[in-house]
Amino acid sequence: MDRLEASRHLVATLTDEAVIASLGHPAYDLFAAGDRPEHFYTWGSMGLASSIGLGLAMARPDRRVIVLDGDGSLLMNLGSLATIGWVRPANLVLVVWDNALYGTTGGQPTATAHVADLEAAARAMGFASTIAVRTPDELRAALARTRAEAGPWAIVAKVTESAPIAKPPLDCVYIKQRFMAAIGNPEPGTGGAAP
Amino acid sequence: MTAIARETGWAAGVCAGLHAAGIRHVVYVPDNPLSHVLAALRDDYPDVVTTIATREEEAFGIAAGLYLGGARTAVMLQSSGLGNSLNALTSLVIPYQIPMLILISMRGDAGEWNAAQVPMGRAVPAILDAMGLSHTTIASAERAADVVRLVATTALSTRLAGVCLLPRRLTAPSVERRRG
Repeated sequence: MDRLEASRHLVATLTDEAVIASLGHPAYDLFAAGDRPEHFYTWGSMGLASSIGLGLAMARPDRRVIVLDGDGSLLMNLGSLATIGWVRPANLVLVVWDNALYGTTGGQPTATAHVADLEAAARAMGFASTIAVRTPDELRAALARTRAEAGPWAIVAKVTESAPIAKPPLDCVYIKQRFMAAIGNPEPGTGGAAP
Repeated sequence: MTAIARETGWAAGVCAGLHAAGIRHVVYVPDNPLSHVLAALRDDYPDVVTTIATREEEAFGIAAGLYLGGARTAVMLQSSGLGNSLNALTSLVIPYQIPMLILISMRGDAGEWNAAQVPMGRAVPAILDAMGLSHTTIASAERAADVVRLVATTALSTRLAGVCLLPRRLTAPSVERRRG
């Protein structure tokens, strides 16, 4: 299962979830798999996708929040697992596209190519449920479980690298305002909410 | 006024100011002076949710997510942690125009005793200037509430993070006898 294929399977399961995508290939593939206004594409801040997802899940406990991270990005902010495991937002699903390499920067190996186990790390930090998946059927089954069983969830999906075929919009403010309106809390001052 | 109240009145002012600006989430990495803010929040503003982060950059990510979900947010950190925050500020908070109040407890300024705190502490204003983030020093406990409220509401209106600096002469007036 390559990352674009996995992204397509994930997008096909979405209803009203908010999705936070880590910069580079995870964001490119999410956009290529199917753009939705409920997608927040990051263009920088490597490592912080799971932190953004945590804050969003705290502010909006009524809405499921899915984070699409990379193994290299998550390794940059492993402390986030500890904070998520402590806060324990039931509505947060952390999906790690683990291709064991820095795909956006030329394919250098990450520590998961050696011994690092991000699923075990999430479990050790107090996530409610964790699972590693390798096939589309396993991914779909895991995503179905996240609807029935409270999180925080960590799904570590072992994927192969795939060449990006599209890029999301470059306008950061557009991404933000479209996202906030779509999830029902329009940014103040944009005409959709009281100041 | 007791000695303790006189020494932590600034913290009560900070809390009053951020609460008046509608802030109900504070994400932080702790330091000693900020513990007075946290104590005042716990005692007087139980509707403010405080979340501890493992690192300052992470705190800014959490705060950004809170804002995306419609919450008004403050981040609190020690000046030493500004260095840990720069990529989050320059590639997320600023370009996406995600407003928040930033409270920086200063080290390395007048009253410092630890040389390792001095280079970053002295660099803080220039680093903030280089990023285009305005900063206001809270000069007295009496003015703390008004200044914090004004900086926060300005940040929210203009969608640019606003910074309040808390100098040691404010937060650690008895530094000669209480180091840390």
